[in-house]
Amino acid sequence: MAGLRIKKVWVDRKVEKDGLTRKLLDGLAGRPVEIVDSVEAVRRFIRQHSDPVGESKQHLFITAQPSFIRPCPCTPGCLGCGYWTIDLDLNCPFDCSYCILQDYLDGQPLTVAVNREQLGSELEEFFKQRPSGITRIGTGELADSLALDELTENSVFLIERFRDRPGFWLELKSKAGLPPALLRVSPADNVVLSWSLNPQAVIASEEKGTAGLEERLRAASRAVGHGYRVGFHFDPILHYPGWHQDYERVVEAIFRLVPVEAIAWVSLGSLRFPPGLLPLARRRFPQSRIYEHEFIRSAEGKYRYPRPLRQWLYRQLAEMFAGFGAEDRLYLCMETVEVWREFYGKIKRGRQNLAFPFPWQC
Amino acid sequence: MVYRLIKLSDLNLEDRRFRFTLNPVDQRLLRSVGAIGVLQPVIITARQDRQVLVDGWRRVEAARSCGLEELPALEIAENIGDLAVLLVAFFENYAKRPFSLAEKSLAIRKFYDFRLGADEIIERFLPLLELPPEGRMLELMLEVSLLGERFLEVIHRRDWKPVTVELLLGFPEAERAWLLSLIEKLTRNQQREIIENFYLLKRKTGKCLEDLAREEKLAGLTGRLLKGEISAADRLLAALREENSPLLSGLHRAIEAEVRTLGLPPKVRLDYDRALEETILRISLEAGEVTDLKEALQSLSETLEKKEWRRLFQLLHYEGE
Repeated sequence: MAGLRIKKVWVDRKVEKDGLTRKLLDGLAGRPVEIVDSVEAVRRFIRQHSDPVGESKQHLFITAQPSFIRPCPCTPGCLGCGYWTIDLDLNCPFDCSYCILQDYLDGQPLTVAVNREQLGSELEEFFKQRPSGITRIGTGELADSLALDELTENSVFLIERFRDRPGFWLELKSKAGLPPALLRVSPADNVVLSWSLNPQAVIASEEKGTAGLEERLRAASRAVGHGYRVGFHFDPILHYPGWHQDYERVVEAIFRLVPVEAIAWVSLGSLRFPPGLLPLARRRFPQSRIYEHEFIRSAEGKYRYPRPLRQWLYRQLAEMFAGFGAEDRLYLCMETVEVWREFYGKIKRGRQNLAFPFPWQC
Repeated sequence: MVYRLIKLSDLNLEDRRFRFTLNPVDQRLLRSVGAIGVLQPVIITARQDRQVLVDGWRRVEAARSCGLEELPALEIAENIGDLAVLLVAFFENYAKRPFSLAEKSLAIRKFYDFRLGADEIIERFLPLLELPPEGRMLELMLEVSLLGERFLEVIHRRDWKPVTVELLLGFPEAERAWLLSLIEKLTRNQQREIIENFYLLKRKTGKCLEDLAREEKLAGLTGRLLKGEISAADRLLAALREENSPLLSGLHRAIEAEVRTLGLPPKVRLDYDRALEETILRISLEAGEVTDLKEALQSLSETLEKKEWRRLFQLLHYEGE
């Protein structure tokens, strides 16, 4: 939670007396607190600011979520990987220039849900309804899984719910360091701690407030030492002069600290964003150069690097991973069938594994 | 409000404190006023012993053009404050037609200058104007309102969206003026694309617009456009797109060159996804009768035998920087 800057805590009246709310408020002692009837009051306050996105990251809203579990929507026209998400926290204290939540969350403050009993029941129901096969599910879709964990200890709650549920893989995805709570509980085989990675130069310029590359990799190494499996997400991969060398260094750094056997998966996804993000990001990150690249407008309306370049990036990354015998840990995130086919055709000739479950887990 | 007839000469038309609408008088209104005069009263109020127009600017202008001396008016009492009077002008027009972005910016500027609280503008008026109720939108609108008459007129006439104005504001003032001269007479889409492409090119190269405009590929086209040769706009856009999309432009050139070397018969056409997301070639044949079809297939088949097609498919499957 280093660097977490909360200006004000807002509490939804319906959870005012909840035990976890009290605990969270103790953890945030010293901040002004206001009880409100709904998130709309917080949003209204945030929207008045000239930088509502930046402001939204400094207001914490404690509430109860109406529901938690849903399938990851992927993106129209792309091949999904069968992922499920738990929307436990919403929004993120980190400020990445490429983050689509800036456009998507529309003034939503950092939101923490305290109705864990309901989450527990939803999970039980989920486990009952999907009794066979492997299901991957994570909390990192609309939030960073670990950024607020020192405060919420959501990770510990979830790990205990997933323990002894072998077909259900819980992923906690982050750009933060390793919260101490995760080292106090015994690891579970089906819990994957994963980190989004980018070269340090990219982290420094585009991922404001996050842990540095070294800290993320040391966190992964400590997690492996404790007995967890880990995952890595190269997403978004950015293309710029010198990108190859930079990413090569990241891949080398991974394998200096993490054995291939401990890696559950590595995702690859290149920069993409909805049109609404463009003016917002240009305004908020005038120094960023990532939006000056050549893009196409894809069928689903998002801007992406042209397909020839995306394939090139994925192939180069795959070759880097192949150098460490880890190419079969790779999958693509939000890519078209065409690109999946070309990618697997070249990397794993003859093995057309287009979606989850991944071959090493069958 | 009191109804009465007023003399046009009594109106202080220099005082435009309540004016935020920009539509000019058109021929239809002139014909109407010329035929039956002004029937719908304008709205006025007294300020510093003069009559100030609150609403009805087009009717007054038409009346003057038609040589009328008097027109009907509803007068708002002098002791009513500027903000309350502006609200009358705003809502009187609000029901009639959607405002352009330029008009919205002027209305917001006037509310702001008349000391309506920022909170109320954001929460009440931005949603009425179909703008997001955000502090940054208020800031943007206030900035737009200061762009000057010529800009506001273009923004109004071409119904610009906030995203285009925001990009324009990213240029220094002198460059904005140059851009305006360049795009003033173009369509909204051409205006938006030229601004967007120059913005990108400027960011990529770090050059100022003046230097970019002097570059070989662009100089002739910008020169022609500045001289009013509107037909140069599409070519300028194509040149700008090529500068900003070197990978795809290069591939398109190479693919088109390959297609030319195939020497296809006129009734056979090749097509492919211009975004190059798909890697397939679509072939269409033109045939009015079975013999046409046979002929077309035969000549396609001959081309396939004699010419090199592999390179074309390699280009469609190309991956690289």
